[in-house]
Amino acid sequence: MNGATLADLVLLTPELILVSAALVLMLMGRRTRGTPFAVVLTVLAALGSVFAACWVQSGETETAFSGMVAIDGYSQFFKVLVGAALALSALLSVRSIDGERVPRAEYHTLLLLASTGMMLTASAVDMVAFYLGLELITLCSYILVGITVDRPASNEAAIKYFLLGSFASALLLFGISITYGLTGTTEFAGISAVLSGPGTSNGPLQLVGMGLIAAGLAFKIGAVPFHAWAPDAYQGATAPVAAFLASGSKAAGLAALGRVCLDAFGAETPALSATLVGLAALSMTVGSIIALSQTDMKRLLAYSSIAHVGYAVMGLIGGTPEGASATMMYAFFYVFMTLGTFGVVIALGERGRSVNGYQGLAAQRPGVAALMLLFLLALTGIPITAGFVAKFAVISNAVRAGHIALAVLAVVCSVVSAFVYMRIAVHMYMKEPEQPAPSRIPIAVCAAIAVAALVTLIGGVLPGTLTPWAIAP
Amino acid sequence: MNEYTGIAVSFILAGLITAGMVVLASTLGKKNPTKEKLEPFECGNLPIALPTGKVAIRFYLVAILFILFDVELVFLYPWAVVFRELGTLGLVEMFVFLGILMVGFVYAWDNGALDWK
Repeated sequence: MNGATLADLVLLTPELILVSAALVLMLMGRRTRGTPFAVVLTVLAALGSVFAACWVQSGETETAFSGMVAIDGYSQFFKVLVGAALALSALLSVRSIDGERVPRAEYHTLLLLASTGMMLTASAVDMVAFYLGLELITLCSYILVGITVDRPASNEAAIKYFLLGSFASALLLFGISITYGLTGTTEFAGISAVLSGPGTSNGPLQLVGMGLIAAGLAFKIGAVPFHAWAPDAYQGATAPVAAFLASGSKAAGLAALGRVCLDAFGAETPALSATLVGLAALSMTVGSIIALSQTDMKRLLAYSSIAHVGYAVMGLIGGTPEGASATMMYAFFYVFMTLGTFGVVIALGERGRSVNGYQGLAAQRPGVAALMLLFLLALTGIPITAGFVAKFAVISNAVRAGHIALAVLAVVCSVVSAFVYMRIAVHMYMKEPEQPAPSRIPIAVCAAIAVAALVTLIGGVLPGTLTPWAIAP
Repeated sequence: MNEYTGIAVSFILAGLITAGMVVLASTLGKKNPTKEKLEPFECGNLPIALPTGKVAIRFYLVAILFILFDVELVFLYPWAVVFRELGTLGLVEMFVFLGILMVGFVYAWDNGALDWK
């Protein structure tokens, strides 16, 4: 067991690029105030890490740092996704940060570091590296939620998020320690070998350890009944932060959940399946129904993200590679759909905050309204958008795993959620405008929305494009 | 001999020495009590006080900076012990680690966390 070698470090190039950019930003922050230096550096670092993730991957699984992290197709997929989410979130931040008093360099440093955590989580094949990655995400997220220090709502959201989040981290850690106590190893492969090996009874302690880990991860992705933090945190945070939490954080959480379910607890299928079915059913139902009564856009999208996590988790039931691949595709398309929706919310500024602000948007800004309609259709899961392809894959996985009732529930919830999303569409297209047309939209925000729209369309029209890359662990 | 015997012995020795000091001081020592001397020893703070006073928020920053260097020390000590076995790579790694910590320090300095105004 030597220290890290240079070869290990090369495998972590994507993370190293992000960390270096964050360090440069910390040093240069004061000197580059009032310039777009921070945004440009963040976007460049994100693109660099995406290319590095593609370059590092040689086609076969490699492990680094004495089996702490694995570089495989699964981690590459999520690293590319996280890099894209980071770049788009940074572009979306252009407008909001100008409007509010946010320290630009610090904000982008935290975005970069949180993304580093997400990439590390996607690569982790050891409980220690796994926990480290997750904590890096949540610690940065707490600060990002509360970064507008002069807004009391933001402070309240950060405190709530912090209190619940540290509780969830404690649960996760407790679960990890129980599992370590039972199996004597923190490596996923080792845990799986011990649990499936001879002479292991499915004792209650093992179920407790697994349940605690599942609960901790369910909190990170905001699945019901561990979702209570999400609406408040999204509403209190500025819109780009909420977009980043809803996209990047969720994707990383799903990556972590997928890795744990398939690699570490593969042997524990019946109990784990039951847990996942419960999480999926509750998240879909509660998220869709509560979203019906929301009037604040960020809150509505928070409940919508809760419902979508429910759909995404359906792919992991049964523990098959095809199912995990369906969840990966769901995470991928969901990130772009939700970033696009948040992009429109940000583009409309003050007006985009409440559902009523969308009245008559089609008459004033036909292009923006059409893009919003596209994202809303994708979130509902209507064909020729990526949302349909993603939803179809996870629902058919539930059918394959023998959970017909869950599949029916998912379809019913989709219908319920159609009311949520189409309410906004009705406001946009069938009502008279009550407020003046929104001001000019910054070019960076336009670019981010355009990229999101492109992926949402391509994913729907050519569903097979991305499938070869969605390789389960 | 169990490996924990040493710990037990040091516990007993520590107990005996402190007990001995207390007993010797209370039997042989000169007694000249004043009000201040009879109060429990609390490093200069009042032992019992209501939390009504104000504490400058700047202490918070000082505490955070203290943690920065405290963590650094926690890593430096074990590193120094095995320094020879780690070789050049260990040296470089530790300097990278110190460099990252220094970025944090420079950031704090740059933003005026060290100015007590």
